[in-house]
Amino acid sequence: MKGVLVARLDNMTEKKNAAGPQDKQRVTRLVAPGEDLGDLEGHELGHGVIAIDGRIRATKNGRMNVNGNIVSIEPRRTAYVPRPGDLVIGYVEGCTNNIWFVDIGAPFNAILPMSLGPSKADFGGTRSVIDIGEAILCRVQEVEETHSSVVTMKGMGLRKIRSGAVENIDPHLLGRLIGKQGKALRQLKEESECRVIVGDNGRLWIDGDFNGTLEVRNRLRSLTAEAKAVTLGGVA
Amino acid sequence: MGYGDVEMIDANGIRKDGRKAGDVRPISIELGVVPVADGSCRMRWGTNDVIAAIYGPMEAHPRKIQRQDRAVLDVRYNMAPFSTSDRIRPGFNRRSREISKVTAEALESVVMLELYPRSKIRVEIEIICAEAGTRCVGLTAASVALAHAGIPMTDLVVSVASGKINDVVVCDLNKAEDNYGEADLPMGVLPNTGELVFLQMDGDLSPEEFQEAWDYNMNAAMVIHEYCVEALKTGRYPQ
Amino acid sequence: MSIPLVPQLLRSHLRELADNDQRLDSRAQFEGRDVEIEVGILANAEGSARVRMGDTIVLAGVKFQTMTPYPDRPNEGGLMCMAEVRPVSGRQHEAGPPSAESIELSRVVDRGIRESGCIDTSDLCIIPGEKAWQVILDLFAVSDDGNLFDAFALAGITALRNAIIPQEKFELGEDRPLVVSKTPIMCSYQRVGGRFIFDANGREELGGDERIHITLGDNNHVHSLQKGLKGAFTAAEFEELMEEARKKGDELRNMVHALEGVN
Repeated sequence: MKGVLVARLDNMTEKKNAAGPQDKQRVTRLVAPGEDLGDLEGHELGHGVIAIDGRIRATKNGRMNVNGNIVSIEPRRTAYVPRPGDLVIGYVEGCTNNIWFVDIGAPFNAILPMSLGPSKADFGGTRSVIDIGEAILCRVQEVEETHSSVVTMKGMGLRKIRSGAVENIDPHLLGRLIGKQGKALRQLKEESECRVIVGDNGRLWIDGDFNGTLEVRNRLRSLTAEAKAVTLGGVA
Repeated sequence: MGYGDVEMIDANGIRKDGRKAGDVRPISIELGVVPVADGSCRMRWGTNDVIAAIYGPMEAHPRKIQRQDRAVLDVRYNMAPFSTSDRIRPGFNRRSREISKVTAEALESVVMLELYPRSKIRVEIEIICAEAGTRCVGLTAASVALAHAGIPMTDLVVSVASGKINDVVVCDLNKAEDNYGEADLPMGVLPNTGELVFLQMDGDLSPEEFQEAWDYNMNAAMVIHEYCVEALKTGRYPQ
Repeated sequence: MSIPLVPQLLRSHLRELADNDQRLDSRAQFEGRDVEIEVGILANAEGSARVRMGDTIVLAGVKFQTMTPYPDRPNEGGLMCMAEVRPVSGRQHEAGPPSAESIELSRVVDRGIRESGCIDTSDLCIIPGEKAWQVILDLFAVSDDGNLFDAFALAGITALRNAIIPQEKFELGEDRPLVVSKTPIMCSYQRVGGRFIFDANGREELGGDERIHITLGDNNHVHSLQKGLKGAFTAAEFEELMEEARKKGDELRNMVHALEGVN
């Protein structure tokens, strides 16, 4: 099991939790866009909120968190927006003589220039290296202000995906899949004896024994179904 | 107006369907009714039945509709062929085009388009069953669906219409009242600021009647807003 | 309809699943998704139904208009069936005039219902040579997660079987139920991972090859067939599908009949 990349993701989760405010005041409530969340003074703005006339206002539907003095909203649903450093799974949608266009589940296709590709190819030989319709594991290198992004395959573990299956889940369910300190994901990998690589764009690469793959997929399906039931039940 | 002989509201101010002048028809809201969409909402309002679905943000194409500094809202209001008493032939329709345009402009006032340059967000509003006031239901449902899709917005838009029957100003006309109505004033309100992003009117209202209709709309919008917020928090309204 | 990319990995995975007699959502080869049918859901239609199969949801509405009978059939009314796959139902469906796909969909469903003879067009005559009823069945996709064909056909026949001719509205006497004597049922099969499966979902459709639509009426009479998309199949394969369609058809037909009188 080559777990380098996965370990990195797990560490990210760990870090997030390490910064958690166990000893600080923490408030949680459900909010809708436009809702007034109180006075701006003494607060910093996090995700999903804006300040208007000295008041904090929600811009997303979700759960409001106050961590120390940072007010933010954990959205109930969210589209994937690439950030530099994200590990993503993409499908090659097209190419020119020296560039691949990669669908990474974001509003715009990412660009993979030949110089950042997996191996050296002659000018015009892009399709012989990665063909249209093939899947790749890559990392977001750069995101422009207009949300166009550049991905790279230079890096440990980044490669063309030749076997296994790619599954999708909503990006906001990734946290639940990975679990605290990556525990849930580690357990899933152990039980299924599969390699599971989780892309930040909500795509997962599952590779291993056939029955293990089915097991992982069933877990994903029940996770999605649970999330749906919970939403309708009014818990979160 | 020539409709004075049809009694739509009795001496005690009770309308044929039992409502008082300022009451809205029964409303129910359900989220996630289009499972393949990024966000969706079904709103039943009287016998109106409206589905709104959101796709995106996605790359805007053809490229000529792209805006370098913001996203565009691609709003389509459409009435299903079986939504009215007389069948509607599918295809181009001037009324739908106009409503789509004003709905898009109302929503553009709240959606934070500047966060998604060169993108497009598709807003599909389908009238499955029409009674009266479908444009208001469509606009309100679309704003709830946008929130459900996780699109950042500074407020919801709640839309409602008031009108006049038998020289009495009433809120939220139903089909029968609409047929005999002497005026119609639909408004789209931002519930958290009281600002307006959508306004139309046709008919004949005195300054006093106009003020009364305006106030009914404002009050009704606040009530409907509470239903929308409840639905966003729990997935549906009523529970 | 914009043509979505077919990931090569999806195709090879579907092949692996088929080789192990498995499907993406753990169904058996000829197992359909759970079917939900609701009737009488549209207040302004004279007959209506909503069908849900997994995340595929469709509506059917029946409307009546008066028409002048065709000169060669002065004693008969008409049936028209229109399917619309509007952009509300999926990311891949774009605005514009009906695509070839949605026209095919519409015509295949129409043929199954028309050719079964379930509607006696002479019963729709009002004044011979002058006036007759035209039955219009509108099919509307709310959410497309594969196999709109079967969903449309099922919603369509259910709506027709629960429709009321609005004679009062047209001052032609009392309202009466539309007489629908048969229950044609469509079953669609698609080759996915090398073998045919029943009721393909969206991802199976994306990674699949040719499809076969079979409409069977009462007593297993065949009323319409359609082969779509690229691919070739053998007589033996078709034989097996026909056998499956007969079984599945009976099951769905009973479901439709159980709803009668609910409206």
